[in-house]
Amino acid sequence: MFEFLTSFSPAFILIAAGVLAGFIPSSSISSHLRKVLLVGAPALALVLINTIYFSQNESTYLGGSMSFANIELTTLRIDSLSIIWGYIFCVAGILNGIFALHEKCKITDTSALIYTGAGIGAVFAGDLITLFIFWEILALSSVFIVWRGGPKSYPAGMRYLAMHILSGVLLLAGLVIYGRATGSYAFNNIGIDAPGGWLILLAFGIKAGFPFLHNWMQDAYPRSSVTGTVILSVFTTKLAIYTLARGYAGTEILIYIGAVMTVFPVFFAVLENDLRKVLSYSLNNQLGYMVCGIGIGTQLALNGAAAHMVVHILYKSLLFMSMGAVLHRVGTIKASELGGLFRSMPYTAVFCIIGAAAISAVPFFSGFVAKSMILAAVFEGGYFVVFAMLLFASAGVLEHSGIKVPYFTFFAHDSGKRVKEAPWNMLAAMGITAFLCIYLAIPGPYGGMQYLYNLLPSEVAGAAKFNPYTASHVIFQMQLIMAAMFAFALLKRYGLYPAERRAQILDFDWTYRRLGLALVKWVSAIWTRLGAFATYKLKNFFSNIGRRMYQVFSPAGTFSQDAPSGIAAVMISGMLVAVLLVVYFL
Amino acid sequence: MSDNNKPTLTPQEIVDRAEAHPAAVPFLWLGSKQTQRNFIYIPLAGMIIFSILGFLYPPKYPTLWESGLRYAAIGFFSYSFVVLMARPLFKLLSRPENYYGEDGEDSEDGEDDIEPVDGEGDNV
Amino acid sequence: MDLLSLFPEWVLVHGPAAIVVLPLMFGALVALSPSEKLSWATTWIVTGLSGLMSLGLLLQVISHGPIGYAMGGWKPPLGIAYSVDALNAPILLLISVVAFICTIYALPSVVAEVGPKKRSTFYAVFLLSFAGLMGMVATADAFNVFVFLEISSISTYALVAMGSSRDRRALPSSFNYLIMGSIGATFFVIGIGFLYMQTGTLNMMDMARVLQDIGPGDRVVQLAFAFIVIGLGLKLAMFPLHTWLPTAYAYAPSFFTAFLAATATKAALYLLMRFTFTVFDPSWDFISTALMVIIAGLGTIGMLAASLQAIFQSDIRRVLAFSSVAQVGYILLGIGMATTLGLTAGYLHILNHAVMKGALFLAVGAFWYRFGITKVSDMRGLGKTMPWTMAGFTIAGLSLIGVPGTVGFVSKLALVQAAAENGWWWAIGVIVVSSVLAIVYVGRMIEQAYFQPVPKINDRYIKRNEAPLMMLIPLWTLALASVAFGINSHWPMSLAQGAAQVLNDGPILLIRETMPAIPAIPSTGGH
Repeated sequence: MFEFLTSFSPAFILIAAGVLAGFIPSSSISSHLRKVLLVGAPALALVLINTIYFSQNESTYLGGSMSFANIELTTLRIDSLSIIWGYIFCVAGILNGIFALHEKCKITDTSALIYTGAGIGAVFAGDLITLFIFWEILALSSVFIVWRGGPKSYPAGMRYLAMHILSGVLLLAGLVIYGRATGSYAFNNIGIDAPGGWLILLAFGIKAGFPFLHNWMQDAYPRSSVTGTVILSVFTTKLAIYTLARGYAGTEILIYIGAVMTVFPVFFAVLENDLRKVLSYSLNNQLGYMVCGIGIGTQLALNGAAAHMVVHILYKSLLFMSMGAVLHRVGTIKASELGGLFRSMPYTAVFCIIGAAAISAVPFFSGFVAKSMILAAVFEGGYFVVFAMLLFASAGVLEHSGIKVPYFTFFAHDSGKRVKEAPWNMLAAMGITAFLCIYLAIPGPYGGMQYLYNLLPSEVAGAAKFNPYTASHVIFQMQLIMAAMFAFALLKRYGLYPAERRAQILDFDWTYRRLGLALVKWVSAIWTRLGAFATYKLKNFFSNIGRRMYQVFSPAGTFSQDAPSGIAAVMISGMLVAVLLVVYFL
Repeated sequence: MSDNNKPTLTPQEIVDRAEAHPAAVPFLWLGSKQTQRNFIYIPLAGMIIFSILGFLYPPKYPTLWESGLRYAAIGFFSYSFVVLMARPLFKLLSRPENYYGEDGEDSEDGEDDIEPVDGEGDNV
Repeated sequence: MDLLSLFPEWVLVHGPAAIVVLPLMFGALVALSPSEKLSWATTWIVTGLSGLMSLGLLLQVISHGPIGYAMGGWKPPLGIAYSVDALNAPILLLISVVAFICTIYALPSVVAEVGPKKRSTFYAVFLLSFAGLMGMVATADAFNVFVFLEISSISTYALVAMGSSRDRRALPSSFNYLIMGSIGATFFVIGIGFLYMQTGTLNMMDMARVLQDIGPGDRVVQLAFAFIVIGLGLKLAMFPLHTWLPTAYAYAPSFFTAFLAATATKAALYLLMRFTFTVFDPSWDFISTALMVIIAGLGTIGMLAASLQAIFQSDIRRVLAFSSVAQVGYILLGIGMATTLGLTAGYLHILNHAVMKGALFLAVGAFWYRFGITKVSDMRGLGKTMPWTMAGFTIAGLSLIGVPGTVGFVSKLALVQAAAENGWWWAIGVIVVSSVLAIVYVGRMIEQAYFQPVPKINDRYIKRNEAPLMMLIPLWTLALASVAFGINSHWPMSLAQGAAQVLNDGPILLIRETMPAIPAIPSTGGH
């Protein structure tokens, strides 16, 4: 049994579980069964991945081969790079499952399982075609999660889908060009100089939220349901980070793209009122660090990107979970409407603060042990401007995720809202995640930092022995944090801190949501006027044709009346003559 | 929670305690005006302590200007810059909430309807 | 080939004759049967046995090559020979399996549509018609083909006329069919007569051998070909000769319509292929010209004209009947290409069309059975009132359009590929246009069923009233088969390729392979 299960990609187990969940009826008893699937399937996948990887001595496991149109597919490649993504995706799948235990929504459960499965499948894809298939399943399954946010999420979901389908099409075009030129569809380092390399990079870039391609994230994530946003925030973007690390490590342009990605969301995050949108911008900013690390491409930088990816999934999930719990209980997530909630939801507040501390890289919280690796690699690479940008962005992270989110939700001005604490399952999910956020940052034999570092892809001296807990690192990180907090308190005290106001903040998506739409409307108005005339003419034309056709072909028409036998017999003779003519003379 | 009511409590405090989550009762002082006003001394003290420590331990990654305060300075000025930029950016970029015509008037509590079965029966 | 070992040896030796003789004999017995239930059961068992034997023959043909059988031990070319090869074995299986499946359906349907005293006779005549079709396909003797053609035709006229208990219009349409069918049979027998005159033999293989000596220049042979093509063209409803078909299909008892639509034209199509490719020689100029101009040309005209006619019909059965004419056009187009790919596609469509059109007519019969529906406009709300029947109808309808994942798509794709290989781009255009027309006429019915409200009677919605299980099982068997073979088309494709191989090898090989096998039979005939 176990051998059978390990013979193909665990992604298929999750997807099968998702399909199965879709068939389980929605009555209350059987929905428990669905929840078992929701938590159990990722757990099984975790065990399987672990078993497969450690049952053999090679550093790379290749399996699950399939043949598709004469191309040999490798659906399961577990090596030192993909294993860490596989582990954290499974863990995130379990945590999301626990967080969603209270929800009785078949669509979310089904799509979450398929979505998780597609994410894991894409990470373990050994070739570009398998990657493309899971890439599309990922997009299609996740849009249903977006749409669970109610009717208002529908247009955002459509925009989300459009972007991801575009990404899929670009990937397909790129991989066809690449495969034709190189003769291999294997998914290894591609590089932008390879044929089709730019197309594939663009496809990955859409999913990774490159500047100007990022809007789907801030558009769709905040509109999904309480649990939906938590699920969405894990897989799509981090898969893109994996594909970039696999295909484009050391591509210099990624350093600058990443640096811009870290800086620009900071300003939007300050302006935004919807706290889940703030977190989406923050997500974008965090991805910037990873993209930057991949661009540097040294072993230290890639390790940093991988480590940052792991801790980032955990603390960003934790923040989204706590905001989800608030939304679940209060019914809104606008900073202007919230405040003082620590009275009602003390546990959630504590978990949120732990998440905020982790993302702010406070020592002994998980961000601290990962982010510094990328910074060190940037510095060693000699990119001082980029280094300065990343430092600036660190202060920005502190502002929007470290201070703004917990402060405006749980403290600040008391909104007078008194609600119940979050349901037990949400608290459990947040508790486990918060524990991991701290545990992974604890050094020494009893801490979890060693496990995190041992998992990192490159086991070269510099990376494995990287020690974040040097006196100067701790001190200067604390300096940065304390100074930023002081600035916050000072600005708040003198009324310089802008109050949260309800508004729609324009981002690049204005170009297509407003400018593009206006253009389309204008063209369509002109088209309508032009078309009216043409339609009138055409309508006459076609109604004439239709009438004539009816006269010929309808039961009453000349063509279809039941021919009397005599006429039919004459016709048969005519046909005979015709055939004879053909046979004799042609 | 009523057994530790003391006569010194103001009526407002009694109401607050009754309304709050039991685990939050010992921490209600966090919400007071006084706390919020005096909070500034914690980061101030932290900044000073770590700045002093910064002079004692040599930096691993020396930055553009060489002084023990540099990370504190970066933190302070970056943060202030971000926050102070918010006002002009807000003027430039903000639009009414229903600018794109997708969020109706009900956007505040509209998200409630995404939970088909509300978790009211859940215990905490 | 484990399956093959399950069949007793006599099936493989005497099978070619047994599949014809068995229904013929029991046809006579059933006519005397006192109870209609008994008649039904006998018919069911006989068709089932024929199906099993056909399967055995098909497996034997696949693994060991063609089977010959000399009737009564008289050696061909003097005696009557039966021969089963890769070209007709699948058709035999198709006819007997469809007959078997439709017979299940007959039990409730015949009770509703045929008068009580006629029912035993009905089954008897059906067995005769079945035996005629099997005989037409199995025999290797040209005159024997005519005999079985007449057996099946005459019994078909009678069966169509039996629809008169339901709709009196069955009588004139049966009469019309009788006149046309007789003309067709006469033309065919005249053609055979001319051939006999020139070759002095009636055995097809012998005929082919002699024709090779005579050569293509002989006027009488050409005349014979013209008569045979027209005679068979009437039977298979080639476009301008199809006028008997819509009324016959529309007014015959529904179970028989399904059987007729799935098999009768297919047997005639088989004969057309058998004569054109293995008796005559397709490499002869006049044959190849006739294939391109007459067969493919009329096929494409039929695809368009009959599809247009189908769009404007108001009676569901006539819509499907005209669609059948259009589908025959597809098959003729494939045959007319005379290339391996074209013949494969045409042959594949013979099998596939039988499956989907059978399912459609069975569903239509069920609509009549429950609600008396025959008009497209009466199909309103059938998606709610008969959900399972309508779902089966929809699957088969989608297959008719050629939606991917159904058999219709497989054979249309094969046809398009064949046309592209031939460089017949106009044919691809016609296939596409005809498919669009199919979307219109099938969509019209599906739209009525699913998007129109359930009709009211006395201010009350009509209640759900599903067809009986005996009707649903055959319908869904065929509908699921159309999906199963649409997804995994390997098996029908390999059968079609085998048949195309036989046709491609032409007359010479058939003589060489089948003739030596025949003399061996009399020695084993003793047991």
